[in-house]
Amino acid sequence: MTRVDCEVLIVGAGIAGAILARRLAEAGKDVMVLEAGEATGRTWAEYQSNITAMLASPAKVPNAGWANSAAAPSPSVLDIRPLTPGGPPGTAGYFVQEGPQPFGSDYLRSRGGTTLHWYAHCLRMLPSDFAMRSTYGVGVDWPLTYDDLVPWYAEAEREIGVAAEVEDQLRTGTPFPAAYVYPMHKIPPTYLDRWLTERLDGKPVRIGHESYPTGVVPVPGGRNSMPNPAYDLGRGYQPVGAVGRPTSGLRCEGNSSCIPGCPAQAKYNALKTLEAAVTAGARVMTQAVASKVLVGADDQVTGVEYLRWSGDPFPTAEAHTITARRYVLAAHSVENAKLLLMSGAANSSDQVGRNLMDHPFLLSWARTDEPLGTFRGPGSTAGIETLRDGPFRAQHSSFRTDIDNWGFQILGSPGSDVASAVYGDQLFGTALRKRVSHDVQRQLMLGFLLEQLPHPDNRVTIKPGAYTDALGLPRPVIRYDFDAWTRQGAAVARDCAVQWFEELGADDLTAYAGPDRPMAAHQQFTWKDRPYCTLGAGHLCGTHRMGTTRDDHVVDPDQRSWDHRNLFVIGAGSMPTIGTSNPTLTLAALACRTAAVLVDELS
Amino acid sequence: MSTSDLDPERVRRLRDALQHALMLEHATIPAYLCALYSIEDGTNVEAAEIIRSVVMEEMLHMVLVANVLNAVGGEPSVDHAGFVPRYPTQLPYSDGRLVVGLRRFSPEAIQTFLAIERPEPAAARPLVEGYDTIGQLYAGVELELTSLGPAVFTGKLDRQIGPGRFYYGGDGDPVVVRDLDSALAALEIIVDQGEGLDHTIHEGAHPIGSRDQLAHYFRFRQIAVGYHYRESDVANAPPTGSRLAVDWDAVLPMRDNASLAELSPGSEVRRLSETFNHTYGTLLACLHRAFNGQPDELLAAVPLMYQLRYQAVALMRIPCGSDGQTAGPSFEWPPPAAS
Repeated sequence: MTRVDCEVLIVGAGIAGAILARRLAEAGKDVMVLEAGEATGRTWAEYQSNITAMLASPAKVPNAGWANSAAAPSPSVLDIRPLTPGGPPGTAGYFVQEGPQPFGSDYLRSRGGTTLHWYAHCLRMLPSDFAMRSTYGVGVDWPLTYDDLVPWYAEAEREIGVAAEVEDQLRTGTPFPAAYVYPMHKIPPTYLDRWLTERLDGKPVRIGHESYPTGVVPVPGGRNSMPNPAYDLGRGYQPVGAVGRPTSGLRCEGNSSCIPGCPAQAKYNALKTLEAAVTAGARVMTQAVASKVLVGADDQVTGVEYLRWSGDPFPTAEAHTITARRYVLAAHSVENAKLLLMSGAANSSDQVGRNLMDHPFLLSWARTDEPLGTFRGPGSTAGIETLRDGPFRAQHSSFRTDIDNWGFQILGSPGSDVASAVYGDQLFGTALRKRVSHDVQRQLMLGFLLEQLPHPDNRVTIKPGAYTDALGLPRPVIRYDFDAWTRQGAAVARDCAVQWFEELGADDLTAYAGPDRPMAAHQQFTWKDRPYCTLGAGHLCGTHRMGTTRDDHVVDPDQRSWDHRNLFVIGAGSMPTIGTSNPTLTLAALACRTAAVLVDELS
Repeated sequence: MSTSDLDPERVRRLRDALQHALMLEHATIPAYLCALYSIEDGTNVEAAEIIRSVVMEEMLHMVLVANVLNAVGGEPSVDHAGFVPRYPTQLPYSDGRLVVGLRRFSPEAIQTFLAIERPEPAAARPLVEGYDTIGQLYAGVELELTSLGPAVFTGKLDRQIGPGRFYYGGDGDPVVVRDLDSALAALEIIVDQGEGLDHTIHEGAHPIGSRDQLAHYFRFRQIAVGYHYRESDVANAPPTGSRLAVDWDAVLPMRDNASLAELSPGSEVRRLSETFNHTYGTLLACLHRAFNGQPDELLAAVPLMYQLRYQAVALMRIPCGSDGQTAGPSFEWPPPAAS
């Protein structure tokens, strides 16, 4: 055999790459991980420096506090602008936005990846989510079924450390093996969760001519809670604490800053899995941007070229090549697609970068008569989860509904409440405190995660000459829109909110146009003469979808490139449809499955 | 020996000694917390972690002592004025040579912590009263338990606080005490974590143990001298490892032994101080229920501990007096009027 630098090269030190690195290293394989971004969170002190930066940051957007460099830039939600129809592309920040809708989501290029600031919602996808074409005649079917993924979901739930109760999740239509329990008990419901359960749970909600029960259900969280002694056939579960300080973060402390960052590391991040990988012998090289996948004459990948950079914001870089027996791209949906397009690799199907999906995030908000316990606990600990599936999916998108524990925070509260009380009503001192507390405690916010179908024209491309970053590498160019199926879903979701607010006797304040429109909701559209606006959810999927045929899929069901059999392209980009679940758990389950394939193949 | 053959006077003395041990384990915690909470966020990271780890273990020790006391049919009592010392204080039922105060993070505070945790000299006699070190007290309890035998374990099992559920964030786990072996196992955790290897500090070149399992005394000594121990280091010599950076100035200037009485009635700072003591009293009441048949109450105690911290730090940020110092938590049992 030819000499190689390592057995398995993994591009990307986020959750998918970390899961593979850990399993391969623990199986005795020589693993190297290339990470484009900076080395974050290797020690407790290093992690705390990011938390301190986050606290000092005026805008607590997801990427606040985390490293962003010119050499490995991350998209920021602060760079998103509304686009003018027929106007020039949006070029602020890292993305080039060709529209017609601006793409509204970010991710983080850093050691640990976007799990550094994720919400840690860990819902499994529903069985029907894997069979949209055969069940509802829309979208596509997966080459895998829910049952195929059941053991891998369980493995991902162990790796992340998910806190939930099976009996709750059964209400969402998710089946479980008879003996299964989650590693930890659910995070205790917040006051708001209980308040809404009492008033809404089981109440009928109309969609078209049909009536559905409203189900307020706790959300499985990737955050440490009370271990369930019944886990693992009675062996129990040991929560994993902070990297470099294992006694921290063993239970959620209710710091209420899951996004942009958990100060205790009670919320899972991929740094934990990476640490286990490094302990098992995996090597991680940061500030190494993969710039080309090299393909030999026999269609095997022969190496990955990368730029090792230093200096910010004016980096210098040196090019190197690294060789391995197997190559894994785990760089994120957009970055995987970008790298393959830059390399002219793995794209005989012409599907690389296409079928980009997210969950358009539609808000509905209201004022209640009673206090709701705002800002107690994680951002969301329950949702309305019973409208994620139904015959209506033949006509329009389904959705899950986040119940937000932080009031109108996403609209700028409580800062905006303070501003209006101070500048508008000239309040100060005790009167100011009372007013803000009174108002914030009565803010009810629902967020709808709308499903999108895969469309070839929703896509990531590159224009190498035109748009480049500080290393001269192309920036992602994105085209993005919502189809009628999703727009109708938005209208239905909005109608559900109206019904629920009416049931609660809450004063509906929702406005999708005019001055009260949410500032950050730059995606705007009309549907049946009504305006709507949405944000991104950070759930980027579909850009290298999996399937059983090579002519219209990028990877096979094992996430192996159809074109280059020693190359794996992993992550949410492999998901053929997005369903309504937050996708990290599913991409982690897929990564666990691919890790087993690779360990087997290399043994 | 059956229960009826036990000398009731000896059993009573044993229970008293364990109640004293509970008071003793508790008495150190406010002193440690004042030092810990006075450290400015993000500074003295290692020193703060050392103090925090010790406090976590003192809390575990309280649970372990309560389990032993419950196992011998006693009733731990932690929610009354007699349980809470007035600082500065002698340690409860000690020979009175050591005085413990509520002070900010400082070389003097660390010297006190070293004195609290000092390992016993080899010749120290086991004593349940008038002891010089904590180890002497526990050695006395161990002797007495062994001598009284299995009949002394008359407590109900449902008063025990079990492992795996309540305690996290520190080394060790509660031990359910049902007999002599489990009682000795519980006490061994306390002595090992506190003082480490028997006698070694006085008796020469014994290894101090691996760094992540250092006894409290040696953990504090690292802060005092500003160096880490290495595994090859010995107990009767200073640590020879890498520097442990300490910034004695990155500290909230809390005044020593703050008390409610020195704050003017009706002032905001007095109100905050009363609120703190009220929270502290609520926490002790919660612990009392947990130690007396309602173990699940420990779950409710955790948010109170966080609340206590936020209220302590708030006090430490309020200027108090004309010398540039600030107020601080006084850990006083709340008078009835405040609650």
